[in-house]
Amino acid sequence: MSHDSHHAPVASKLDLAPERSDLGLLRPDRKTGWADWLTTVDHKKIGIMYGAFAMLFFLVGGVEALAIRTQLARPDNDFVTARMYNQLFTMHGTTMIFLGVMPLSAAFFNFLVPLQIGARDVAFPRLNAFSLWTFVAGAFVLNSSWLFEFGHLAGWFNNFAWHKSLVYTDFAPANGWFSYAPLSGTVGQADAALHSPRFTGVGTDFWIIGIQILGIASLAASFNFICTIINMRAKGMTMMRLPVFTWMTLVTSVLIILAFPAITVALIELMFDRQFGANFFNPSAGGQPILWQHLFWIFGHPEVYILVLPAMGIVSEILPTFSGKALFGYPIIVFSGAVIGFLGFAVWSHHMFTTGLGAVPTAAFALLTMAIAVPTGVKIFNWLGTIWGGKIRFTPPMVLALGFIWMFMCGGFSGVMHSAAPADAQQQDSYFVIAHFHYVLLGGVLLGLMAGLYFWFPKIFGRMPNAGVAYLASGLVILGFNLAFGPMHYLGLAGQPRRTHTYHAGNGWETWNFVATIGAFILGIGVFLAFANLVWTAFKGKKCGSDPWGGRTLEWSLSSPVAEYNFAQSPVIAARDAYFEDKHGGRRIAYENDGGEAGVHMPSQSWMPLVAGFGFLMIGLGMPMLSMGVPHMGWLVIAGLTVMFIGIWLWALEGPGGYMLKTPAVGATPSQPAHQSATTH
Amino acid sequence: MSQVSEPAHAPTSTGIEHKKLIMWLFLASDCMFFGTLISTHLLYRKLYPTGFTDAEGHQRFIQNLFNIELTSFSTFILLMSSFLMALAVSAMHKGQIKSFRRNVLGVIFFGLIFLGCQVFEFTHFFHQGLTIQNSVFGSTFYVLTGTHGTHVAIGILWLILLYFYSFTGKLGGHVGALDVEVAGLYWHFVDIVWIIIFTAVYLVEYLGPSGFWGTGLPLTK
Amino acid sequence: MSDAAHSPSFLQEEIRRYHHFITLALWLAAITGVEIVLIFLPVPMAIILTVLCLLSAIKFFAVIMWFMHLIYDHRLLFWLFVTGLALAFATFTALLSLFAVERVDTKWFS
Repeated sequence: MSHDSHHAPVASKLDLAPERSDLGLLRPDRKTGWADWLTTVDHKKIGIMYGAFAMLFFLVGGVEALAIRTQLARPDNDFVTARMYNQLFTMHGTTMIFLGVMPLSAAFFNFLVPLQIGARDVAFPRLNAFSLWTFVAGAFVLNSSWLFEFGHLAGWFNNFAWHKSLVYTDFAPANGWFSYAPLSGTVGQADAALHSPRFTGVGTDFWIIGIQILGIASLAASFNFICTIINMRAKGMTMMRLPVFTWMTLVTSVLIILAFPAITVALIELMFDRQFGANFFNPSAGGQPILWQHLFWIFGHPEVYILVLPAMGIVSEILPTFSGKALFGYPIIVFSGAVIGFLGFAVWSHHMFTTGLGAVPTAAFALLTMAIAVPTGVKIFNWLGTIWGGKIRFTPPMVLALGFIWMFMCGGFSGVMHSAAPADAQQQDSYFVIAHFHYVLLGGVLLGLMAGLYFWFPKIFGRMPNAGVAYLASGLVILGFNLAFGPMHYLGLAGQPRRTHTYHAGNGWETWNFVATIGAFILGIGVFLAFANLVWTAFKGKKCGSDPWGGRTLEWSLSSPVAEYNFAQSPVIAARDAYFEDKHGGRRIAYENDGGEAGVHMPSQSWMPLVAGFGFLMIGLGMPMLSMGVPHMGWLVIAGLTVMFIGIWLWALEGPGGYMLKTPAVGATPSQPAHQSATTH
Repeated sequence: MSQVSEPAHAPTSTGIEHKKLIMWLFLASDCMFFGTLISTHLLYRKLYPTGFTDAEGHQRFIQNLFNIELTSFSTFILLMSSFLMALAVSAMHKGQIKSFRRNVLGVIFFGLIFLGCQVFEFTHFFHQGLTIQNSVFGSTFYVLTGTHGTHVAIGILWLILLYFYSFTGKLGGHVGALDVEVAGLYWHFVDIVWIIIFTAVYLVEYLGPSGFWGTGLPLTK
Repeated sequence: MSDAAHSPSFLQEEIRRYHHFITLALWLAAITGVEIVLIFLPVPMAIILTVLCLLSAIKFFAVIMWFMHLIYDHRLLFWLFVTGLALAFATFTALLSLFAVERVDTKWFS
């Protein structure tokens, strides 16, 4: 074991001599294949894994949605039971929000932010890996509730004592994605074992611990990204030169760190009610179930902007690229994004207009809600200003981005309708609300994220997705989406209630429900096709150059796929839209010869984030099983806590390590002209 | 040559070390965390001002339950631990590892006294009939102060690990001082949260004959 | 190890801070003492409450400014923390005022 050889720059990490960490364990730096992916701290690989898991869960959530629509296709249907229906819509919402949209946004954060700011990695590479594995643990915990549910329905548990003593046997969450108390909580006095009578089975416990773990993952990732964006910008990359996507990542991350603590505490309180007989939301002991609603929406409304702002950032990158113009009103777009984020904290009660808040609070929250339409409208006008008079290229990402503007506006209009409290009283819990937020979340967020996938896929894998399939998929998605959710506006105003597993014939709802179901299936085929095209591209797609779209931001100046060290020499930025200016304007990117002969410093890979994440998996599976009454599960929880603690402790003790990687000689990379390579300042 | 991905040495865009920045971000987030817990407690105090009913069905006043001398003592202890923590960080900056060890042992000792007081208080209240199950007050009080106690315990664990780590000789220089300073930030934050809890949970109960929360409401026996 | 951080001016600065810390610790102890006496004084509650809030705010900011070095560090850190603090304060003040005593079934405190 030669310590020195590790510090001599190597051409590939496979040439490294084996090195031991401060703990004396062999560092997994030279791993390839599965072990490489499990121990990686490379933000690009972590981003790819986030994306892969997100797409998988999009499909899971999509199948749940199609089951819901099949059930509602005709009146008095019995495709699924009422209980299964409740579980389907709960898991559909939870999956799409926490396991679909948020990790897909995180995939873009991970892959793009360091590239866009001219950094070689995030501020805390191992923390980043920890976020990923904790997210995977939380996702697995949530979805394992389905395994228990199916095991129960198949009768696998019938011979177990704990199963016989269960009062409620619903194993998958069934309270809706906001799990309102008291339905999710308890009632009456706690017994000797400190358990209060509950309204629901262990599905709720799976939901509580699953969301808690996912929250930890999101918080850890957000601290990391704020730190990265504030602290790791290349020279000359001032805040007002940051690409808009990076700006929106920053705003989103700030929203996450300030909004998630509210749900963390609410979940702790609910957990104490259910596990230890506390009375936070227990109405028979004076607990106020409405407090759950407040705490949930103090988190829940910023969460809506956590979902949509990254998509807005993506669209703000795509529109200028394919219009051949700079983004119209960059400072105003950035400012609007920040204002949306800030106002997002002041409107939570508009989800609770029908709870009787009183006249003054209702009016105040209605006004603040209407106020949010202003910065959102400003953004839309700026996007229109960007494409106005531009030389528009209708590539697949551009088609999807334009779809975003149009569909998101429709969702925004019905949103303003909800902000009027008297109108909202009519629309509350009807299909009109379903239509509204699916226009925002599907027409807005999903189209935006798909646009981003098609836009950056050539950068991620160096391969170009098939355009024909992409156009077809985009068309199917937009058509199917409008067919599915357009009629729900009408259905909602005609009185069809949300979250009801079936309806009788004769209400005038039959036709449009059937149309919506057809639309949902077209949408499902479209999304599947779009994703299948991407997966095929990742492995077999046609190779393309490093800058196929004529990109404007820094990531397009790098090779595709991007080298593990990102930048052979650190860039010095001279303008907003740095790479476009470098190609076509007067202000070139300079390169600091900071690596040079010594090479570039790379952080060491580590098993510890995976170990800590595995601890969360043990806790997450242990808690609900403890709640079921399975023997010895308390020990599993304690073991999980221990594994998590040991993972984090050893991670601190092993030391960051690192090795030096040789980079191509100065001026050898095609995108870095030789005459620009000398340090200018 | 710069090592961009190694937090402690790299020059950052703002000049703030990554570790210090991320700790402050965490503390900003923790404000919302404890804000939620404290406001849960306060709003139930506002709704149900006169106390709780114990296991025998007796109406109990919180003022009679609390022991302000004990709580003041533990508050004082925590404040002084914060002071010693500041001295420990200062010692690290000066490279005085022995002084660091002395001070950090003091912090750990005071932290343990605080936790001991809390354990005593919880046991005492439990015997007085306040449980997490028998009232909303019990739930909010135990969960709020217990969560704070958990923060203290995590801080103590962190400092113990740092203390023993200092004997390996690896805790030193700028990186070591930064690691101690970040742990110190966490410790001070736990202390300021207690400053708020001391006023909002304990002291206000003593105002007026039926307690601050009972103001303007008929007192029932 | 021993780099610019150990220059004489740096040490002087550290010693100056050391004295600040001691003075501050004494003040914090004194304020806590005053608080305990205050709650037993026969003065209108509104006044005591205002003073109590003020005193704990003073203690709070004294600790974050000196013990937590915000007064010596980059201003950004101060504003980051204050953002979280102000948001928490505003949100939960709003939440508390949304809960009105008149709307609650009073049998729980009889």
